[in-house]
Amino acid sequence: MNNKVVAMLLAGGQGSRLKSLTYTIAKPALPFGGKYRIIDFPLSNCTNSGIDTVGVLTQYQPHVLHSYIGLGTPWDLDRRNGGVTMLPPFAEIDGNKWYAGTASAIYQNITFLQSCDPEYVLILSGDHIYKMDYEVLVDYHKEHDADVTISVLEVPWEEASRFGVINVDDDMKVLEFDEKPENPKSNLASMGVYVFTWKKLKEYLEADNVIEASSHDFGKDILPAMMENGEKMIAYPFKGYWKDVGTVDSFWEANMDLLDLNSGLNLHDSGWRIYSSNPQLPPQFINKTGNVQSSMVNEGCVISGEVTKSIIFQKVVIEENTQISESVIMSGATIHKGAKLHRAIVPPKFEVPEGFEIIGQQDEVVLLTDEEVEKWKERGEQ
Amino acid sequence: MNLLAVVDASIKKEGLQDLTMKRTVSSVPFAGRYRLIDFVLSNLVNSGVSTVGVFPSYPLASLLDHIGVGKSWDLDRRKNGLYFLPVTQRDGGISSVGAFAGLEEHLQFFTKSIQPYVIVTNSFVVTQLDYKDMLEKHIKSGADFTEAVSKGVQLKTYILSKDLLVELLRSYVDKQVVSVEDVVNLKKSPYTFNEYEYEGYFAVIDSIQSYFEASLDLLNEDKREQLFLADRPIFTKVKDEPPTRYVSGSHVERALIANGSTIMGTVTDSLISRGVYIKKGAHVENCIIMQKSTVEENCDLAYVIADKEVYIGEGVLLHGTPERPIVLRKGASVSKEDLR
Repeated sequence: MNNKVVAMLLAGGQGSRLKSLTYTIAKPALPFGGKYRIIDFPLSNCTNSGIDTVGVLTQYQPHVLHSYIGLGTPWDLDRRNGGVTMLPPFAEIDGNKWYAGTASAIYQNITFLQSCDPEYVLILSGDHIYKMDYEVLVDYHKEHDADVTISVLEVPWEEASRFGVINVDDDMKVLEFDEKPENPKSNLASMGVYVFTWKKLKEYLEADNVIEASSHDFGKDILPAMMENGEKMIAYPFKGYWKDVGTVDSFWEANMDLLDLNSGLNLHDSGWRIYSSNPQLPPQFINKTGNVQSSMVNEGCVISGEVTKSIIFQKVVIEENTQISESVIMSGATIHKGAKLHRAIVPPKFEVPEGFEIIGQQDEVVLLTDEEVEKWKERGEQ
Repeated sequence: MNLLAVVDASIKKEGLQDLTMKRTVSSVPFAGRYRLIDFVLSNLVNSGVSTVGVFPSYPLASLLDHIGVGKSWDLDRRKNGLYFLPVTQRDGGISSVGAFAGLEEHLQFFTKSIQPYVIVTNSFVVTQLDYKDMLEKHIKSGADFTEAVSKGVQLKTYILSKDLLVELLRSYVDKQVVSVEDVVNLKKSPYTFNEYEYEGYFAVIDSIQSYFEASLDLLNEDKREQLFLADRPIFTKVKDEPPTRYVSGSHVERALIANGSTIMGTVTDSLISRGVYIKKGAHVENCIIMQKSTVEENCDLAYVIADKEVYIGEGVLLHGTPERPIVLRKGASVSKEDLR
């Protein structure tokens, strides 16, 4: 037994509910928290957990992700053995094959996995924000001598139906697995983080591949099949911050969580660093007219306005007499004089014109777009 | 690029002693997130120079830890790149730039390289010098030496041909000269000399006073714009610090702040490095607070330079003057009781 763990990071998702934020980049590449991209979280978790072989499966708009991850240097994954391997779909002798589902993405990279020769395979999502020690999870899997271990989280009952819901006995053995049930019988949600004993996973991937009706998905196909055959399926109770950033609102919320010292998501913890590529920019400058409260600001910014409860990415310029609250301002954006933003998400390099205000906003979060600016201009002309 | 670089990082400056107890002048922190050597290394890289010899003297650990194999400057090359060439200063240490005794210890660096010209420079003068332009002017002038100057101030940066440098390294004892700087200052015959007039940002860091002034000068927009050019970025060793956190109730005016800090108190007209903690009720004015230092609650600091990992206990009052800022050495810990 070689005990080797290989992580397979699913990073092909589009994230269509994030609207224009993911028109040109995959969801895992979405900027987050003033300096990060979402995929920094699972990648840093791997590094911090001592996992040094990571496959990143990409499909939708992969260019930013590929160039961002590169050799994996920021995460110490530029290794002679193992390290990070980008795994986009590829052509085979019998044709081109897109990744039809989460399971087929892994199935199509069986050759890669075999060359790594792992004992265990960790399946991760590239679009979740959380800090987790995968070593503890894998140890748990070993202790229970499980075939598959599913990491689960207690969620509020009313939200349970959005997730794969898991019913367990007193020994955390999984009794039932319901993918997005209408009437959930439990509030233990699957986090989409699985450890498989590789031999078993291979067996089930190969079996699933020949079933035409299968959607080739872990939650819908692989896990139910394993359940049915009585394979040993164990739930691992995760405690801590975890967020699936699926919508503009949840993306905004996750950013705001960073400003809440009690949210459980602390980026200032030097014992569990989140690694990211570090652009070479001068320190931030807070001007005489600037006022920053309850916010996070990255390097290269010049702040001359009022900023409250906001996340400011690198190279943002905020001019005088501006008021920004509960907003996320992405890298290279400029907020011109007199603009007022509340609960706004400003995309990278966006220019918010002088005196701009969001028209007709109640309490909702507004993702700024050219249309939004047009709307404001038109109203000014009337 | 037909230019080979010598960064003389062996120069000691007595006036900077408080900041160089455990490091060379070249690794003194500057401008919030940099070390002095970052500026010259970045200028070299931005000018297209990719063969760089750094000639430091002891204590080396801090500098070595900072520049490593030169990755941050893209100088970790299979061919050429960064050469770390420590000098023993068996002559007792010469404080002029490009000391032949030191360079001679690494004669091979010069004889083995193929570049026909050498730039000899230092790390205590911060500039945005374009060495490529300087080389072009040097070649055009036909002189043996070109020295960079700005408004009558010597920037202690010289270009000469490699053959001439090698010849000097073999004959300097007979010629009774000690360094490249020495030859230029003496206008030693039979050589010819040319000046390169530079117009951009510069600061000579050779005393606490000049260090303090140059640092606070960066709070002026025009100075920052001269030093931090978008097309000539300053590279430094990367740290994975999160963005800086401004807690409710903080008050910050005219401050240059690096990442990873937490600001709860009042900071005005100051420079704050990476990973600094300014606690509630603390008042920091006209100060330089370096990496990983902590200013506890209700401190009152003015004209203070706190080196790395300094701990300033609750309620400490320290007021220096613009002419004589108080320096707290690396790792120092100050409490109210100490000051009584």
